[in-house]
Amino acid sequence: MAELFYVLLQIGIFVLISPLVSGVIKKVKAMTQKRKGAPVLQLYFDLTKLLKKQAVISDKASWIFKASPYVVFSTAIAASLLIPVTTFVVPGRFSGDIIMLVYLLALGRFFMTLSGLDTGSTFGGMGSSREVMISSLMEPSILVSVFTMGLIAKSTSVYDIMEMMQSGNVSLTHPVFIMIFLALLIITLAETSRIPVDDPATHLELTMVHEAMILEYSGRHLALMELGASIKQLVFITLIVNIFLPHDQLITYTGAMGIILSIAIYILKVVGFSVLMALAEVSTVKFRLFSVPNLAALSFMLSFLGFLQYFVFGR
Amino acid sequence: MTIKYLFQISIGLYVIAGFSAVILSKWHKISNTASNILCMAASVFGIAASIDQLISAQGPVILWKINSSIPLMNFTMTVDNVSSFFILMLSILVFPVSLYSIGYLSHYYGKRNVGLFNTLYSVFILSMILVFTASNTIFFFIAWEIMSVVSYFLVVFESEVEENRRAGTLYIIMTHLGAALMLIGFMIMYSFTNSFALNSDSALIPEFYRNIIFLLLVIGFGTKAGVVPLHIWLPYAHPAAPSNVSALMSGIMIKTAVYGILRFIMIYLGVQNTWWGILILVIGISSALIGVVYAFVENNIKKLLAFSSIENIGIIFIGLGICFIAISTKNETVAALALLASLFHAFNHTIFKGSLFLGAGSIHFSTHTKDMDQLGGLIKKIPIAALFILGGSLSISALVPFNGFIGEWLILQSIFAGIQPGNAGINILFILTVTALALAGALAAGTFIKFFGITFLGLPRSSHASEAQPIPMVMNAASGMLVLLCLVIGIFPAPFIQLISHAAFEITGVSVAVNFKGSFLLTAFPLSVSGNVISPFSSLIIFLLSILAVLLIIRFIGGKYAEKKYGTWDCGFEGLNSRMQYTATGFSKPVKIVFRMLFRPSRDLKITGDDTYHPESMEYIMTTESIFEKYIYDPVLKFTERSSGVIRRKLQTGSIHLYLIYMFAAILAAMLYNRLF
Repeated sequence: MAELFYVLLQIGIFVLISPLVSGVIKKVKAMTQKRKGAPVLQLYFDLTKLLKKQAVISDKASWIFKASPYVVFSTAIAASLLIPVTTFVVPGRFSGDIIMLVYLLALGRFFMTLSGLDTGSTFGGMGSSREVMISSLMEPSILVSVFTMGLIAKSTSVYDIMEMMQSGNVSLTHPVFIMIFLALLIITLAETSRIPVDDPATHLELTMVHEAMILEYSGRHLALMELGASIKQLVFITLIVNIFLPHDQLITYTGAMGIILSIAIYILKVVGFSVLMALAEVSTVKFRLFSVPNLAALSFMLSFLGFLQYFVFGR
Repeated sequence: MTIKYLFQISIGLYVIAGFSAVILSKWHKISNTASNILCMAASVFGIAASIDQLISAQGPVILWKINSSIPLMNFTMTVDNVSSFFILMLSILVFPVSLYSIGYLSHYYGKRNVGLFNTLYSVFILSMILVFTASNTIFFFIAWEIMSVVSYFLVVFESEVEENRRAGTLYIIMTHLGAALMLIGFMIMYSFTNSFALNSDSALIPEFYRNIIFLLLVIGFGTKAGVVPLHIWLPYAHPAAPSNVSALMSGIMIKTAVYGILRFIMIYLGVQNTWWGILILVIGISSALIGVVYAFVENNIKKLLAFSSIENIGIIFIGLGICFIAISTKNETVAALALLASLFHAFNHTIFKGSLFLGAGSIHFSTHTKDMDQLGGLIKKIPIAALFILGGSLSISALVPFNGFIGEWLILQSIFAGIQPGNAGINILFILTVTALALAGALAAGTFIKFFGITFLGLPRSSHASEAQPIPMVMNAASGMLVLLCLVIGIFPAPFIQLISHAAFEITGVSVAVNFKGSFLLTAFPLSVSGNVISPFSSLIIFLLSILAVLLIIRFIGGKYAEKKYGTWDCGFEGLNSRMQYTATGFSKPVKIVFRMLFRPSRDLKITGDDTYHPESMEYIMTTESIFEKYIYDPVLKFTERSSGVIRRKLQTGSIHLYLIYMFAAILAAMLYNRLF
């Protein structure tokens, strides 16, 4: 029973909170540009509207095109289960670790890039081709970062890593954590199609990557693609805030009160981090496509130095 | 005792299959069907026997023994757990490949000697069984040579194509260079132990020679495995062979090298020096990375798969390297885990690469082209083949819930367990291995996105694709059963890993605990290694349940599904055509630019017509070069050519008197040598 509760809580939080994150980022960006901006809850309205709309499907498309939104959405859901929002309700551990998380997200990406190629559109192929390059170059830094965190916690489970960070046995300001944090921040910007790697707000052929792949989608398929992408974004944000800013050790309540308090703090952290991401986004410009390898290299060097710091130079 | 008979029946059936193909060769269809059904039956016995041997805790089984009067020439076929594991891989692959051949070879009927082909095919399988069971080095070497030569004949089976003959020649030269070095290694072994038997005492070999033997064997076996930089034959030979043979070559033949390394280096010589492991690991890393980058930019479907084999053999070598390092640093658990991971990946690669090569053969069968830029939109013409190739692609890209992921996870876990405070150099090497695996894995996924996306999706790029022929049912069934096996292993990995761990146990003597336990939903059928647990089954359940739930919710909010068919956005031009889509070349261009040091791409743009904005015609040629061939092999080749020219002019003048002097001098030298030393 506790397991079922855990699954429903995780999924519920991720599905309900993730559009909020996109809304907050958009609102903060608008405010920095002295615009009023769309309401914070705009994505919720968009999604419900899209679900009610008729879907327009290309006559060149195959079943891959229709299946992809479901695959993208459910891999994001399956991935979200591997990152506990709170350590209060985890009954054992969900059977999956941080390596599985990386490969689950890769499954969603596989289908998303295929759907870009499916309609025979010029833009779709362009987006897919660029996405493959960017994600391939980011992969080493993701794996090295999570590996290093896992090695410190002596486990590849996210839950164990969170417990280690909460335990007070490690200093949260240790250089290794700062470096891995920065590496994961760059990864998050790249994986969630944000500036400086991609620009979510434009449909200009020179710049678009993620938008190019989902250009042909409409109706409920588009809604699922958007929701899947925002859940994936929340997965990365949760990973960062729950690992580098642990809060469960501060709560003295147990039972239902503890859970509610923990989730409330979690949501505050997520919103706070979204504001930070929005500020990071407005303070940079989009890179040229072939400057992205430099960014990937920077991220990799940070994670690699983090590893060296902890395992080679000693702690 | 029954195990012995099962193996013997299996081998006997292969022999009968070979003969029946020749005897019936007048009637192509009958001969083809009969010999392939016999091979399938043989493989069933092979599977049963090898699983039986792996499960039963008994020692090696002697299948066949010839005691000859020539000293040192006692041939024995012995099957132990390691041999059974490799025979199991072979048999699992032979069953679908033979089934596939029944349909695939139909395009040779009346044109080629199908009987001869099937005989060679059976001999090829038999030679691999001999390689896996030979218990002394001479017998092993003979089997190895039969395997090389027979596979050469199979590579050049379509010998009227100039390209195939060239590929075959390159293959036979490279494989013999490797074999020659291997033979030198075996001779050095004999000179110290005075025995060709594999159970002789390797402690008699001094340290220095042990290192020499190691290097010779690594180069020898590495050539067969196709590791970088010895890989240059592989991307030519595998595509040249008919697809059923490519599946066998890529699926199992290159793994005879892995067997050789296990048998001769790990079991016989024993691992002593850490640098052995480091060398193997570095070879593995470079093969994985270079293989996958070349695979990514390749447009020929079979060449792409061949390069991907180089990548995967690299991953297998990475596992072996970690195992070697762990043995030499006395870290038994990590060694056992790494070896298990490596063998498991080899097993998986046999299955998914087999299915992909069969799928590539089906594409070629249906469209008569291997060039991706001629294909496109095939998912509508050959939907079943498309489904199975998609499955194979997901599996090779190491995605959940297929077996490729489990293999990758095990290798990562063995590295995870291997990084321990203290040994800085090894730790840095291991984290770089993680980096390499991550990059290779992501690029492999990209490669197969390109493979599937360009070939099957979008619009047909030529008449080859738009007029694709249907594929016989047996061919689809063959690749389908392999994909199904990939999925089953991916969801329920534990029993398969336990089976393979019997083989790994025999080598390392340490058993790695792989547990089954757990309750419904969250921890069903988990796989746990040193405390880290994954459960692909649970993820799959969550995955399916969330699709179901979202369908219900959408139905609730959005009402009944309604769709409208409309054309793809064509930028306002009149109608979309296939030239507007991304090509295979275009798709891989960003990666080609990022890794340009490996390709040295050069472009050539020719514009005719005086108007820059309205040219009459444009010609764009993009060429890449293979740096290995240009900077390593070509200079060696040129040197050999030049020096042999000098020798021919100066020494082999054609004068018989001179030759007589040479012979006399040689005899004199031999006599002097005997006298003096």
